[in-house]
Amino acid sequence: MKALQRYLDAVWQIVRKDITVEWRGRQGLPLMLVFALLIVFLFHFALQLSPDLQGGLTAGLLWVSLAFASTLGLNRSSSLEQESSALDGLLLIPVDRSAIFFGKAISNFGFTFLVALVLLPVFNLFYEQNMLNLPLILVIVLGVGAYTGLGTLLAALSIQTRTRDVLLPILLYPLALPILIAAVEASRGVLSGEALSDVQSWLFLLLASNILFTAAGLMFFETILEE
Amino acid sequence: MPKKPRLLTALDILTPILILGALIFILFFTPIERTMGHVQKVFYFHVASAWAGMLCFILAAAAGGAYLVTRRLYWDALSLSSIEVGWVFGLAAILSGMIWAQPIWNTWWVWDPRLTTTAIMELIYLAYFILRNGLKTPEAQARLGAIYAIIAALTVPLTFFSIRLFRTIHPVVIATGGDGSAFNMTPRMLTAFLISLATFTVLLVTLVWHRTRLVTLQRINQQKGL
Repeated sequence: MKALQRYLDAVWQIVRKDITVEWRGRQGLPLMLVFALLIVFLFHFALQLSPDLQGGLTAGLLWVSLAFASTLGLNRSSSLEQESSALDGLLLIPVDRSAIFFGKAISNFGFTFLVALVLLPVFNLFYEQNMLNLPLILVIVLGVGAYTGLGTLLAALSIQTRTRDVLLPILLYPLALPILIAAVEASRGVLSGEALSDVQSWLFLLLASNILFTAAGLMFFETILEE
Repeated sequence: MPKKPRLLTALDILTPILILGALIFILFFTPIERTMGHVQKVFYFHVASAWAGMLCFILAAAAGGAYLVTRRLYWDALSLSSIEVGWVFGLAAILSGMIWAQPIWNTWWVWDPRLTTTAIMELIYLAYFILRNGLKTPEAQARLGAIYAIIAALTVPLTFFSIRLFRTIHPVVIATGGDGSAFNMTPRMLTAFLISLATFTVLLVTLVWHRTRLVTLQRINQQKGL
């Protein structure tokens, strides 16, 4: 019991540290937000979208901008640990190293989720569609959870290479494809007024990805961080 | 220098004989499919390549797991070699599929679940090579490569199911339900199909074995400073 408490405490301290760093420096979240908005504008003109978009296209646009912005956050979060050897400090925490994974994954999830929460009303404004509904937020929680879980794992891999953070998208995008497909399809369904039960196979797929990548983090993070 | 195993020499002789035999059987002893004609014969080696590629990637993940447990570089060499060979098989499956699709579907490429999954798989494992290439020590290459190989193998079924939930137009070779979507093989065709699968499995073993030996020998030479 005591061990579990210590573990959870370590996870919480890592999350808290990330929030504090973000609060003081404000170098991650604003960047992600602006980037996500830029992606929306780029796609709007590149694909010549009209303001009365159908559910499918808004869902796609939302997830593409979230995925890109999230990559930025993931890279920022892992290079933060690499800079001035902050990671060494984390490795000294006397708990299982998967705690570092959960801490980083939770803060990564939080930042991307915040970006999503800001994007939703913006989409409302731009595309004449009610994005602020609870089912969609549930889909976002599941999708962003799986995406940032996998992303946290792969960011820890890519940061160890010579190319560093440039490698992350190459590793992440093909592996995250099922998550994106499921998230886009579930969002599309929800936005075109279907009930959650109509998109449940997509939700299950997202849930399965969450479980899979959490388990992978639990199993492999210690090995990834080995020196 | 480790001696070449006898079994491998036997495989060296057996593999070309099998390939030649399978080719002769397919070209001269299988019936010509009624609607598709001669181009249907691509199918035997096409499915066999896809099968061999799949096996390679599973083998790579298993070898990766074995490396993480034992930390013996031999397993890493096996994992790396399997992915290299599997990648080539995957490419062969895509290219042979395109040759078939052009006359049958009237297009080189369709965004169908199997095609898309295979293409994504190729990209996933291309990233594996890039990842290894960016790592400094053989130990890091082996360790992180193994983890990546396992995660990659885990996501391939996810990718497949996610794309499958869209509709597919790819012929289903082994149908689960009797809905008539499977294309029916005559006994001769089935024999040729099974021969191709066996041939490609043997080919895979031969290639992976050779490549693993090569990687190991390279490492021995590097240690000697050659």
